[in-house]
Amino acid sequence: MTISAGTTSAVAPQTGAPPAHLRVREHTIEIVSDSGEGAQKCGQIFAAVSAKMGNGIWTVEIIPAEVQPPPRVPEGASGNRIRVGAGPVTNWGDQTDLVVAFNEQALLARHRVGALAPDAILLIEEMWATSQDPAIVAAWEAAMEELSTREYRIIPVPMQEQCLTLVENPRKGKNMFALGMLAYIYDRDMERIRDQIATAFRKKSEAVYDSNVSLVNLGYQWAQEHIGFRIDVPPAPIDTPLVVMNGNEAIGMGAIAAGFELCAMYPITPATSVSHYLSEVFERFGGVVHQAEDEIAAAGVAIGASYAGKVALTITSGPGLALKTEFLGLAIMTETPLVVVDVQRGGPSTGLPTKVEQSDLLAALFGQPGDAPHVIVAPATIEECFHVMITARRIAETFRAVVMVLTDANLATGVAPYPRPTLDSQWQAAPIDLAPVGDSDLPYAWEEETGLSRRIVPGQPGGMFTLTGLSHDERSKVAYSSGIHQHSSAMRSRKLAVLQSVLTPPVVYGDEEGGDLLVVGWGSTKGAIEEAVDRVRADGLKVSSLHLRFLSPLEPGIKAILQRFTKVVAVEINYSDDPDAPYITEENRRRGQMAMLLRSSTLVDVDSWTRVPGEPLRPGSIVTAIRERVLSGGAA
Amino acid sequence: MLSDPRVAVALDALAQPIAEFRAAVEGALTQASGFLDAHHASPAIRASRAAFELGEFATGRIDAGRFATLFPPLGSGDPASLAMLDRAVQTLEAVNGEASDLFVTEVTEGRKLGATIDAALARAGQAFGAIVLAELIRAGRYDAATHDRLLDPAEFRTWNRAERRFAPPLVIVLRGADLHSGALTDFADGRAKLVLVVSGPCAPAPLARCITPGTFVMQTVDGAGLDQVASFDGPAIVAMVPEGCTTFTHDPRGGAEGWQRLSIGTNAVAPKAPIDGISVWQMAEDVRLLTDLARTPFSVPARDGTGTPAIGAEDAVDRVTQWLLGQTGLQDGA
Amino acid sequence: MSLSCELLHVIQRKGSDEPYGMDSYEGARARWCAGCGDHGILTAVQRLLAAEQLVPEQTVFVSGIGCSSRFPHYLKTYGFHGIHGRALPVSTGIKLHRPELSVFTVMGDGDCTSIGAAHWIHALRYNVDLTVMMLDNAIYGLTKKQTSPTTPQGTVSNTQPRGSYLPAMNPLSVSLGVTNASFVAQTAEWVPAHLYATLRAAYQHKGTSFVRILQRCPVFTPEIFASAVRDPSQIALLVHDDGVIVPEIEKIYKTQIHHDPRDLAAARHYAESDDRIHLGVFFRDPSRPRYEETRRTTPRTPTERNTRLEEEFDKYAV
Ligand SMILES: Cc1ncc(C[n+]2csc(CCOP(=O)(O)OP(=O)(O)O)c2C)c(N)n1
Ligand SMILES: [Mg+2]
Repeated sequence: MTISAGTTSAVAPQTGAPPAHLRVREHTIEIVSDSGEGAQKCGQIFAAVSAKMGNGIWTVEIIPAEVQPPPRVPEGASGNRIRVGAGPVTNWGDQTDLVVAFNEQALLARHRVGALAPDAILLIEEMWATSQDPAIVAAWEAAMEELSTREYRIIPVPMQEQCLTLVENPRKGKNMFALGMLAYIYDRDMERIRDQIATAFRKKSEAVYDSNVSLVNLGYQWAQEHIGFRIDVPPAPIDTPLVVMNGNEAIGMGAIAAGFELCAMYPITPATSVSHYLSEVFERFGGVVHQAEDEIAAAGVAIGASYAGKVALTITSGPGLALKTEFLGLAIMTETPLVVVDVQRGGPSTGLPTKVEQSDLLAALFGQPGDAPHVIVAPATIEECFHVMITARRIAETFRAVVMVLTDANLATGVAPYPRPTLDSQWQAAPIDLAPVGDSDLPYAWEEETGLSRRIVPGQPGGMFTLTGLSHDERSKVAYSSGIHQHSSAMRSRKLAVLQSVLTPPVVYGDEEGGDLLVVGWGSTKGAIEEAVDRVRADGLKVSSLHLRFLSPLEPGIKAILQRFTKVVAVEINYSDDPDAPYITEENRRRGQMAMLLRSSTLVDVDSWTRVPGEPLRPGSIVTAIRERVLSGGAA
Repeated sequence: MLSDPRVAVALDALAQPIAEFRAAVEGALTQASGFLDAHHASPAIRASRAAFELGEFATGRIDAGRFATLFPPLGSGDPASLAMLDRAVQTLEAVNGEASDLFVTEVTEGRKLGATIDAALARAGQAFGAIVLAELIRAGRYDAATHDRLLDPAEFRTWNRAERRFAPPLVIVLRGADLHSGALTDFADGRAKLVLVVSGPCAPAPLARCITPGTFVMQTVDGAGLDQVASFDGPAIVAMVPEGCTTFTHDPRGGAEGWQRLSIGTNAVAPKAPIDGISVWQMAEDVRLLTDLARTPFSVPARDGTGTPAIGAEDAVDRVTQWLLGQTGLQDGA
Repeated sequence: MSLSCELLHVIQRKGSDEPYGMDSYEGARARWCAGCGDHGILTAVQRLLAAEQLVPEQTVFVSGIGCSSRFPHYLKTYGFHGIHGRALPVSTGIKLHRPELSVFTVMGDGDCTSIGAAHWIHALRYNVDLTVMMLDNAIYGLTKKQTSPTTPQGTVSNTQPRGSYLPAMNPLSVSLGVTNASFVAQTAEWVPAHLYATLRAAYQHKGTSFVRILQRCPVFTPEIFASAVRDPSQIALLVHDDGVIVPEIEKIYKTQIHHDPRDLAAARHYAESDDRIHLGVFFRDPSRPRYEETRRTTPRTPTERNTRLEEEFDKYAV
């Protein structure tokens, strides 16, 4: 550990340590504090300004475990983690290179979860070291002791003292001071910072803006005088207009762009923020967010609306998906189109409400009792969260299908820029078609070859039929005969095969011809997996990856692709038994969910490497796993 | 006169029914032109349309050409029907293209109020015809002999129940002298909403005679209360009158008795001189009628239904209805 | 959208003003047991539809699962026969999205007060304009005689063969306890004139009209309503101008209570008193807010939506 210029005195410019200008391709920065001290705002502004300057960014929130944790405890650590890159950034990366911490306990929390790089630079509020309260001083000293086990470079900063020169309550000002320091260190555009402050505090007064700007200037100045290095992550000029948001906002906007008019939901983390966003704006678009009495009712309301008109939407997470199950079966049986978004979190049961996991795949696919064929898609990026809503709605409508969209907490809360969509009104649902129904039109006029049929909507003269969840024939007459059930089951199932017939095979990332190892992933892990593949390919390993978007029906041609590789491993954020764990054998080993799916549909011996750490996968750990797989003779 | 700032106030209050009418027209237009396109389009065009509809997530993942072949255009595309549909689409496009003109009209020199309203609504009637025609063609039920006339402008008189329910709201700019309530009551049906923007010398209570139990009638100076018009599920006649006129609101939702429905803000005295063709006696009669209607009974029935029935309450409604029927010659209930 | 819907309807009927008859609404032949009270309810509903001249294609019957929930199949209107206990959310979705449709909900007692209890309570509170009929035979019919929440205490069933353990739930007092409930009535299928009049009042009320219909099941619970059917003195009619008045039955049902449906306290009193079965409108308050009205939004065309969405993107623009 290097403690710069002692723990208590003001810090003098550094000599020796890092070069005055450290030029890197990327850097990961954290701002952590007790909640309520504004670290998140600081991080958001820093990220937005970096994006505007032309850096790639990926931001994740550091969320305290409790709603209102006491001050100065590790569990209370709250803030933002921003990975800034010279090029596009597709995932949250590995470890943090520089931290600004408002107290040593928040810092400890990050240290203990292994979030920090071994040589990370830590800028820490130093006031605690000289506190009047001996308990605080003792805690500080214990923390320094614990942190000293690593090669961190600790820079104490008199944040409180400095802020007091400008404001009375520094608790509300440190975040702007920290922003100023970061602005100096990373050479951020001050004009843009001021603009961003104006936007962030637009609802507040001029005085708030002025005070924030002077705090930023103060932090900048202090850093200039006391910190002897700068870090340069070169921005690239932006040639296309970009927007920056999290995946849930992207889903909400996608829902609007797709022309949805009703979103029924029941609050559940991490899905709720979609409905928060929609509740704020949806009415301006002629839409309604209906908060139902529970997830079951939310599904029912969405089905009722869809049955009566435009395809409706329901949004949930694992526990809610479980409750919707019976209604989903009804929608599938009555061929009522519906889009269900499942923002996955850790499970089972209440599990890890705020944390990422990809363990709803099989429940989504097979959760409904009886044979219940439906479509599942998984966007892999924040941008895809937007665009997938348009495709999902269209498929639901044309195939009279339930379409589930699986995202996860990583996409939901990650913030990254993507090209601003060029809106098209053809994305939106057509008005409800109420043309009269012909005498020969039936509610399930299945086309024998495809199982497709045209639905009839209340209001269409001549179409007065009763849809039912009971097994039924083309006229929707309740039918218990085995022949009819066999046939109607085939018709509902056939639609998936037909959809698959118009899908194009997925594209291999790396080497289409084959190689030693193929990593298969789905959903939010794309960025981390591809980064890992890049790293090992740079070392000469013959490794490629394949990222699937359609999980039901699976994209065509997967088997052929898998067979071109010596080994295949599915990398996912869900649980699988470690092959070396006690009692685990080749036969009883429980594999990851995608691995199971691929094994059953391709008969290829797909291996599984999965983790459930309650955080996104790090490219570095995927690299390690890949190396093990390629080098070991096992699992092929 | 169309630049009268009160016109904007009125249009604002009518935003909801205007949006509903527009959405219906645009909806029918989208369906109809989609149908036309589908029948005229080559496979390549259909594929590109399918690609647009599927959005960018589908790019490179769904073969739009093959997708399009799964959903061939519906209905028959015989040339005669398509040609007629083309005409319907043109009508709808024309209606859709008109900005707020469709919802604002003016009683110009030498024109009568009734005729002005009729002419304005006939345009909407044409849109209704076009919508129905388009739907019939799409459903393959088009028959030239019976359906072609659907595209002719249609006067309110000929509108059916449904059309009357969907009559678009109308803002009418006029001089006080042109305001004859007899011309208005013809249109009090369905959910017709008429808002009159009146300037110049005006009788104090010209709309008093429009009051019937189910019609929302209001006179306002500054537009206060206009927001209640859009949400009223029935016919409404409102006048934005010059300063000095009576202000009142007759809201059928108020209750079963006349006095429960009618509230008078300021009751003006009738002028001493006639205004164009409106005599002093007629104007005074309007004011008396209002006062009569607003009179509360001296006893109200007790909650348990005992007590004396309200005297005059029911009478007031009956009296005005009788009287109105007498005035308008509508006893047969047309 | 309702526009072309209604316009088309007129054309479909070739402008004819020939009224709909009861037979205009006839669907598949009803398959309930002979003597089942549901038959009479179906007839009363057809009568109501004809009296109100409801347009078949603009009328939707939604049901759950149970004998009673077969209802929509036997009508020639739109129908949605869903899952057990959950007809109300589906009805709510229909009405929210298509307020111009007339929506009826048909449920059994198990459907409504047991598995669907949460939806029942919340539907009353949303007060969406629905006509809700709970066909209460005090037993699970379709699954063959299991105890339902409304089964009288002590009744022998297949799941409680030594007699049901708990006092029966009172669906009227539960409904009357829900904030924002706006219409609660009770009628009996064996008094057809009252049934019809009550359904008509329920339909005409704007808001969720909850009607509990006492319904005989001749197979599993023939005894439950038998004595009330035989002895009209066990029944008291709640009468009021703003409720239902059925002069033709006043000779038979001599106990009549003048009850103003605005009086909630009295409504609760009659709902809870078990000296007699009270039929009539217990409570009605047309001034309660209706959810679909409160949530009504102005429709936007695709072009308008995209213009506004561009403004949204501006807020997120880099
Ligand atoms: C989720 C679920 N649980 C149980 C059932 C079985 N089930 C069907 S109908 C019914 C009860 C029917 O009783 P009720 O609602 O009173 O209607 P009735 O048949 O008496 O008209 C039950 C338990 C089911 N269909 N679905
Ligand atoms: Mg029952």
